Amino acid sequence: MAKAEIRNQIRRLRFEANEMTQQALADSVGCTRQTIIVLEQGRYVPSLALAMRIARTFGRTVEEVFELVDDA
Amino acid sequence: MAVIAWIIVALGLVAGAVALAARHAASIAPARVVPPGEKVPVTSTQRLVGWSLALGLIPAVAAGALVAWFGPDVYWDDDAVRLTVTGLVLASMFILVAPQALASLWAAHDDRRIDERDRGILAQAPTSQAAAMLVVLAIWVVALTESFRGEAGIPRVYMYLAFWSYLLVSLLAWNVGALLGYRRT
Repeated sequence: MAKAEIRNQIRRLRFEANEMTQQALADSVGCTRQTIIVLEQGRYVPSLALAMRIARTFGRTVEEVFELVDDA
Repeated sequence: MAVIAWIIVALGLVAGAVALAARHAASIAPARVVPPGEKVPVTSTQRLVGWSLALGLIPAVAAGALVAWFGPDVYWDDDAVRLTVTGLVLASMFILVAPQALASLWAAHDDRRIDERDRGILAQAPTSQAAAMLVVLAIWVVALTESFRGEAGIPRVYMYLAFWSYLLVSLLAWNVGALLGYRRT
């Protein structure tokens, strides 16, 4: 199976949401600011529950926030 | 070679392995990107583990230094030395086990001081623990075998020293493994 990577639009969506701070997003979804930082860097894949809470915070679907990229 | 010398070599090897692992973890982790002028925040759990390691190391090193200074025979025969070392080891253990206990408490009460990433990092910390204990076990076996080859038996004091060292190394390695986990992710 090809190696998969999860990319996200969290940083862009955060700035589009009245330049929401990382801490504000972290407080909203129930995680630490450090987790938001590593999420935006693509170094951490969130659980489904956290992914859904992030998507709900931005008023988007999970697929609009996260993208599965397969190495061909 | 004297057993204490073997122990010092062993501790040096373990420390060297941990340092290499830390450097490797730092080299494969991409640089953290944060807004200019800001530092990457340390999580509450990460801070707890770091302080526990720093503070727990002090009595552990003191206990080892006392045994090395007085020697195993004096440690075994002198109640004051033995009880002091035992007290230091127990103090170190209580400090080092605190993060595990508090993290479990926070997780059980859905405390915001620990999130899913913290739980995941702490869950992988025992990997370092198991590896460190195997290394220490192997070193004790070799050290005692070579030091007491040809003798009728191994003095009981070394069983106690080995036991305490397993416990301390186990807890130290858990804390180190947790901190390395924060560096890796």
